[in-house]
Parts: sequence; structure tokens; C-alpha cells
Amino acid sequence: MEGCCAVEREVDKVTTKFQSINEHAGRTLQDLVLYIENLKVELENAPEDHELTIGQKDLLAAAMSKVKETISRLATDHRDLHGTVSKVGKAIDRNFVSDFAATSREDVFAGQEKLELINKVICQHFYRQGMRDVADELAKESDLQDVEFQEREPFTELNHILDSLKDRNLEPALAWSLANREALYGIESSLEFKLHRLRFIELLKKGPNHQTDAITYARTHFRQFVDRHEKDIQTLMGMLLFVPNGIGTSPYGGLLLDSEMWMDVYEVFTKDACRMLGVSVHSPLSTCVNAGCTAIPALLNIKQVMMQRQVAGIWNGRDELPVRVVTANYQYIVFLRHPCLKIEIDLGTEARYHSMFACPILRQQSTETNPPMRLICGHVISKDALDKLCTGNKMKCPYCPVEQSPNDARLIYF
Amino acid sequence: MADVKSLEHPTLKVPYEILNKKFRTAQKTLDREVSHVQQAAVEIENEISTGNLQTRDITKLLGGMVEKLQVLKRKADESIGEELQATSVCKKRIEHLKEHGTTSATGVVSQGALNQWRRQRLDRMLVEYFLRNGYYNAAITLADRSNIKDLTNIDIFLTSREVEKTLAGRETHKCLQWCHDNRSKLRKLKSNMEFNLRVQEFVELIRGDRRMEAIKHSRKYFPSFEEEHLITIQQVMALLAFPINTELAPYKSLFDVKRWDVLIEQFRQENYRLFQLASQSVFTVALQAGLSALKTPQCYTENCENRNPACPVCQKYLNQLAEVLPFAHCSQSRLYCHISGLPLNENNQPMMLPNGHIYGEQALEQMAKDNNGQVVCPKTKEKFPFKKVEKVYVM
Repeated sequence: MEGCCAVEREVDKVTTKFQSINEHAGRTLQDLVLYIENLKVELENAPEDHELTIGQKDLLAAAMSKVKETISRLATDHRDLHGTVSKVGKAIDRNFVSDFAATSREDVFAGQEKLELINKVICQHFYRQGMRDVADELAKESDLQDVEFQEREPFTELNHILDSLKDRNLEPALAWSLANREALYGIESSLEFKLHRLRFIELLKKGPNHQTDAITYARTHFRQFVDRHEKDIQTLMGMLLFVPNGIGTSPYGGLLLDSEMWMDVYEVFTKDACRMLGVSVHSPLSTCVNAGCTAIPALLNIKQVMMQRQVAGIWNGRDELPVRVVTANYQYIVFLRHPCLKIEIDLGTEARYHSMFACPILRQQSTETNPPMRLICGHVISKDALDKLCTGNKMKCPYCPVEQSPNDARLIYF
Repeated sequence: MADVKSLEHPTLKVPYEILNKKFRTAQKTLDREVSHVQQAAVEIENEISTGNLQTRDITKLLGGMVEKLQVLKRKADESIGEELQATSVCKKRIEHLKEHGTTSATGVVSQGALNQWRRQRLDRMLVEYFLRNGYYNAAITLADRSNIKDLTNIDIFLTSREVEKTLAGRETHKCLQWCHDNRSKLRKLKSNMEFNLRVQEFVELIRGDRRMEAIKHSRKYFPSFEEEHLITIQQVMALLAFPINTELAPYKSLFDVKRWDVLIEQFRQENYRLFQLASQSVFTVALQAGLSALKTPQCYTENCENRNPACPVCQKYLNQLAEVLPFAHCSQSRLYCHISGLPLNENNQPMMLPNGHIYGEQALEQMAKDNNGQVVCPKTKEKFPFKKVEKVYVM
């Protein structure tokens, strides 16, 4: 933010200076034009072949030197602004990183095949966002065929329903959840119930005159949810007690926050619908790019540190870099099996999709060939670490004094 | 805010370079018009000093001067107006970047606003990516749809498209004009674009069997490049002695029509450098970093059970793209409950079912409460009594 402000200050200076020079130039030039024109008019009053007097000549000479001086000052004034302009550039260079690309390798995405993949991902992204025209244009210009996107139809529908929810229209969402009731039930979604609940509360809020409507509504729609939402239904029906005096002041008042309820339904709908269709809630492309934007500053930092220490590349090598590992009881040299980034990127909890178990002994992520194992004492280490800790048919847990047989350790799944 | 600092350099630098260029053009225009007026003044002064001056002559001269002053005034107004316009583009972009940190009245960054900003950022990146790859219509459509035309550099790319088109049609004049317009800057960048164009013209003349014209051409243009490119000039001149279908290196390669594509590529790169654009687009850089930061071995396991439909790297195309990229670094376990999605930690301890699957304590307890003390493994659908669940300790 500070960087932006620094640049903005310089830009503002440039703007003010240009504005003032613009006004100044306009004014002085206008004055000059008038001045010369007056002079001309004055001279024209005399007969055409009148010879100029010495006085007139002096006047003219003075006028000329004035013109020359004024306009050359104008040009100089403008030239002097160069410093102010170039300060903007310097402020940008000082406050922003120019070689952001230093973290990436150009060859990774090189080639027609990769280009096509990227374009397909972008196309899918725009289909998802409901921006078909952009996607179609891209497919045409980049000569893409058969972008795999069967889900195009559901997304059109989903986008439509979400738009209606934004306008506080429950109908399309209700219709959709009814049509997909079984699938939603399968993923234990509470979407349909929440939609009905919202509708019921809307009815209650209309006041005592609509009580019967609300009760009828409850009787028609709530029965089916009794096995999973009994408590909620009790609460909802309890609200009826307070209808005459206004629910807002009742113990149930907290349930009536309008925007929150609608927001909740919106979120639940997005989440459950995407889950049911087996697609991600956010566009994968935007998740990726946002993650990248978080990662790049960190990667640039480490890059700089490494440059100072003359280490090349921010990838841990394919050529298996040795890493020294020290725990309380043991010390190892291990080899990283996968090339991985040199530092951990904190993407927040939202962008975590897989449980990652890192063996506390070997400090590396578990894999299919090196899965996590639970020792009898409950501590978890990786299989490779377990093998290394064995002596004969016995091993001691690195974290507690329990001695055990490695055969008792069992494979676990996160 | 760190992401703005790291990624938005070109967003500001490009309009700055345009401003700088406008400034220089404006200075040139002003200098020229000023010198015209100066000349007129000098002329009048000369007339005065020669003596016998009649009103008729002097009013005519004065009239000419007024005209020139008016031209100066108009041009000054236009040029400075353009400079101001370029400045306002810079300003607009800064304002957009500042919105990134907009806080609501309560002082917290509003998530909705941030998401909106990020969506726009992605669209901006994509417009640039499209432009770089020559998908001009897609770029324009997108910029219109998300209303970000002011925040993208469509104009400079559209100008360069014109040049590229003419080069592809084997014409050099537009590109030469471009070299001329940006001469001082290109000289600073030590560009040899103009020389390469002249060489190509020479080659084309020989190809067309107009060798005399080729010689004339070389006399006219090559001497100014003598110092730097003497060896190349000698080589090129030797072309005069060879037939077009020569098999002799390096002359064969000089006759290659692919050299036009090389010129186009060179032009692109030089144009990027001129506006201080990096050779890669921000989009691909960010995509690469993002894929790496998200990539886990689970995304590449044989059985699909471990794949998460919400994980970008588990998606078909992105999965293929990320194949060669490094994995995210993970030296500390980060575990999530498969049922609730909540992190597993001291408040939500990881618990093992008898079948070896791990879930969070909270979710299992809730399930047991709802199910008369029974828990169901969501992955295998096996049922177990809650009592059989055991603790695990992950360091």
C-alpha cells in the first residue's frame, strides 16, 4: 500500500505541474497573440506605404525580443518537467518488483501441447463464470477443439439459480433441490431443509394474519426432515408462540437476521450443488492463480536469499538434495524423493485440499510407498523411518519410552 | 499487499513508459513550433535593421507570426493534454491497486471486496496473456465484459499487431517507422532491429534478382551500422556473389524465408522491452507458482479416492500441466478431518477407526451421538462402535 502511495504522490506532482504549465502556456500564448495583433492593428492604421518611424521600430524590436524570450522560456519550463516525470518511473522501480518472473521457468509451459492445455483450462473457467462469449472467442482464435466440459449445462443452471438467490427469489433453488433430492440426501445436504426454513420464516414475519399459512406450510414440508432436523423443526415451531408480539423481540430474534440467512443459503447452495456435481466450489483456475499470487512474494524472497548465497534455482533438485534431519533421539541424512519447492507457502485454510502427513523423523511427505504408520503407543511415523529405527525385531518409539515390535505398527490413512 | 508489490510492476510501468514517451514527443513538438516562431521573430528583426520598412510588409510579417503563435498554442495544448491523459491512466491504475487494501468502516478487509478485486486481477492477467498470444478478439471481449479496458495494455498490443501483420506480409515499412519513432529508446536498449530489417530488405532485393538496387540499398543504409555489425555486413554483401539456391552456410540461412518469423519474434521481444514488460506473462508465472504451491503427491495417486474434486491440481487439465512442476513443500503435517473439513489439532484430535482411517474427534463424537454410539467410516462404509476408536499422536 505504501508503495502505491509513494507512486501516487509522484503522479500527483506530475499532474499538478502539467496542469499549471498547460494553463500558463495557454494564457501567455494568448497574451502574446493579442499583443502582436494589437501591434498589427496599430500599424495598419497608417497608410500601406508609410515608412516606420524609429519609435515604431523600437517598439517592434522590443516586441520581438519579448516574444522570443517568452516562448523559449515556455519550452524550457516544459523541459524542466522531465525530472518530475522520471521520478514516477523511479518510484515504481523502487516500490515494485520488476523481475517477478524470476521465480518461474519459461520452459515449463513451453510448447504447443502445454499452450493448448492452458487454453482449455481458461475456456473451462469462462464457461463456469457464465462468460461464454469470451470462451468461444478464445476457442476460435486459439484453434481449440473438444474442450472437455460436459458440465456446461449445470453451470448455466447453477449461475441462474445463484442469481435468483441474490435477488431473494427462492423458487428456482427449491425446484432444483426437489429435483435432486435423493442425490442431496446422499451427501447429507441440509439445503432443501434450509430453503424451506427460510420460506417458513418469511411467512412468519408477515405477522399474525399469515399464521395459518405458515402452519400449513410447515405441515406440508417439514415432515420429511424430521429424522435429521427434529431439533430445528421444534425451534421453528416454537417461534409461533411469539408471532402476536413480534418474533424480533423474542428469544428467537437472533434467528431472523435477514442478510445472514440469505448469505447462508447462498453458501450452502453453492457448496452442496458443487459437491453433488463433483466440481469444485471455486473455479480451479482462479484458486490456482490466487495461490500463485500468494506464493510469488515468498518465492521471490527465498530466491533473493539464495542468490546472495549463490545457490541456483528455487526447485529442490530432481537430483535429490540431501537434507540433514535431527530429532531428539536420532540424526539422519535423508534424500528428498520428489522435487519440491524450497519453502512452505501458507495459503490459508481455504486452499487446502489434502491432508498432508509429513513424517516427523524424515521431514518429508508420506507417499504411497512410504505411508504413515501408527505405533502401538499412538505415535505416527512414516514406514521408511520405522524401517530405519528397527534393530532386529525390536524398536523403540522415538517419542516415548515404549518398546515394541515393528510388526505391531499399523498402516493408517489420513 | 506483498502480492501487489511483487506482481504489479508492469501494471504501472507500462503507462509510465507511455507517459515518458508522450513527454518526449511533446517536448519535440514544442521545440519545433517554438523555433518556427523564433524564426519569424528573427526575420522581423532583420527587416527592422535593414531600414526602409513599410507598414505593408511588416503587418504581413506580423500576421504570419500570429498564425505561428496560434499553431504553437494549439500544439502545446494538444501535447500537454495528451501528457495529462497519460498521467491520468497511471493514476487510475494506482487507484485500482489501492482498492486491494480497502477496509470497510469497521477496519477489517472485506472479503467480498477482496474477492471481487481478485476476480478482476485474474481477468487483467488473462487479457494480457491473450494479447501476448495474439488472441486479440478474446482479449477485447474479456476487457469489455469485465470493464477493465483502462487497466490493461490493449492499445500497445494492438499497435504492435499492425506491425506484426505487415512483417508477416514481408513488408518492412511499418516496423521501420516503429524503429524511427522509438529510436532513442532502442539505441539505449542496444537494439539491432533496424539493422536486421535493412539486411532483410537487402536479401529480398537479391532474391528478386535486383542486385544493382541491392548495392544501392547497401550503400545507403549499411554504413551507419558499420561499427557494430561489420562482420555481418561483410557476410551479407557476399550474398551478391551467390545464387539464391546456394547450399553454402551461412548464406543459405540468410536466404531462408523463416527469417521473417525471427524478425516478428524479435520485434515482439523488443516491444516488450521498450515498455519494460517481462518476457513471460504475469498469468503464466502466477499459474506456475500456484500449481506448485497446491500440488501434493495425493493429486497423483493411482486410486482416485484421495483426489479431491475441489482441488485444482486434481482437475484433468491442470493435473497434466502441473506434472513437471515441483510439489508444495511440507515439513509439518497439516491434517484435516475428511468428514468436517476441520483441521486436526489439539482441539480436534485425530482418531483412528479400527480400519486404519483417521478422522477428527469432533465429527466422530457427533456421529456417535446421532447414531446410538455407532460410527460409520465414510470411505469404506464400515460400522464401528465409538468405543473402538483410538487416539493417534502426530508430531
